[in-house]
Amino acid sequence: MTDISIAGTQSTPEIRSNWDDGIVCLQGDSYPENSYELFNQVVEWIERYLDEAGRPLKLDLQLLYLNTSSIKAMMDIFDVLEAAHTNNKPVSVDWHYDKRNERVAELAEEFKEDCTFPFNIVGT
Amino acid sequence: MSHADERLEERIDRMLANDDLRGDSLYQPLEELWGAYRDLARRIERISRISDAYQSLTKENETHLAERLDKQLRQLKKVARISDHYQKMMHDLNLALREASTHDPLTGLGNRRLLLERLKEETDRSRRYSRPLSIAMLDIDHFKRVNDEHGHELGDQVLMEVSRAMDAQIRDQDLCGRWGGEEFLIILPETNIDAACLVLDRVRGAIEALNMRAGEQSVAVTASIGVAEHIGDDTYSDTINNADWALLTAKRSGRNQLTRADQATD
Repeated sequence: MTDISIAGTQSTPEIRSNWDDGIVCLQGDSYPENSYELFNQVVEWIERYLDEAGRPLKLDLQLLYLNTSSIKAMMDIFDVLEAAHTNNKPVSVDWHYDKRNERVAELAEEFKEDCTFPFNIVGT
Repeated sequence: MSHADERLEERIDRMLANDDLRGDSLYQPLEELWGAYRDLARRIERISRISDAYQSLTKENETHLAERLDKQLRQLKKVARISDHYQKMMHDLNLALREASTHDPLTGLGNRRLLLERLKEETDRSRRYSRPLSIAMLDIDHFKRVNDEHGHELGDQVLMEVSRAMDAQIRDQDLCGRWGGEEFLIILPETNIDAACLVLDRVRGAIEALNMRAGEQSVAVTASIGVAEHIGDDTYSDTINNADWALLTAKRSGRNQLTRADQATD
């Protein structure tokens, strides 16, 4: 599976995946024109990785502003992780935020709410 | 099938099995009727079985759909909640940006941008309703010397204290802001130059009374002020220039004083 490598723009996050290390990174603001197009490839990559790799998956996030459709997309991704976790596949999320903006941490907490897999909210 | 039916069926089965009855003229029609009846019964049973299967399938589907709907509703609520939260964050950020773009970070007073906005509004209002408006320019005396002798930190402290004193002495409808460096502008709406002088002299006095500590020594500062009343069709730049001219006169006349533009010397 080819890795995803998309540079960030003002309205879209930087997205990188690494099959060998089992890591997906999303970083930046997200209010894309077509969030389905953008996030669908991430979901597909994650689903395929979870099916085939047989290794742990870590989602490394450093997201600031998300528009409504991006929020929905992230929840879909967390649903995929939750399903994998239920099937005893090791998955985890690290959500990094700037300590000067505690509100991002509050938002990450809201995302975390229904997740039973390891979901770390890390202030730096 | 009921008990009575079963007994009837057993009886008929028995009769048809009895070869002695074969000669009876009713035997053949009964046998045919019996066959048709059994066939019908089987068919009904099959139909009800299929119908039951359909029913349970529909029921299953319904439960499944209800579960999915439930899940989507929950998800929708969560999306809306998080989205609201993000919007609130953006809104507050906008307010903070607006504050940052119109205020001086050191003194907390309005900056030149805010002053220009208000100057435009107030001069328009003054012209439209023929109301008095005064504008004053204030400059801290020998500020460079404070910086050079006591360092920039104390210089900053002087700017903050002077700002606080000025802001405390002006009235609610007045606006003071940092015009640049150690220069401040004060807008006094609905105020002719005589009334403005009363306010501004209080400001000057309050600054003179300030006492700031720099280690062991205390530092006092004074300020010079020039004030001009806005006239008819002048632009606010004209009035600011007049106030500036008065300020220059105040400086030349020994500082720590208030000078009116209409009494400033050339």
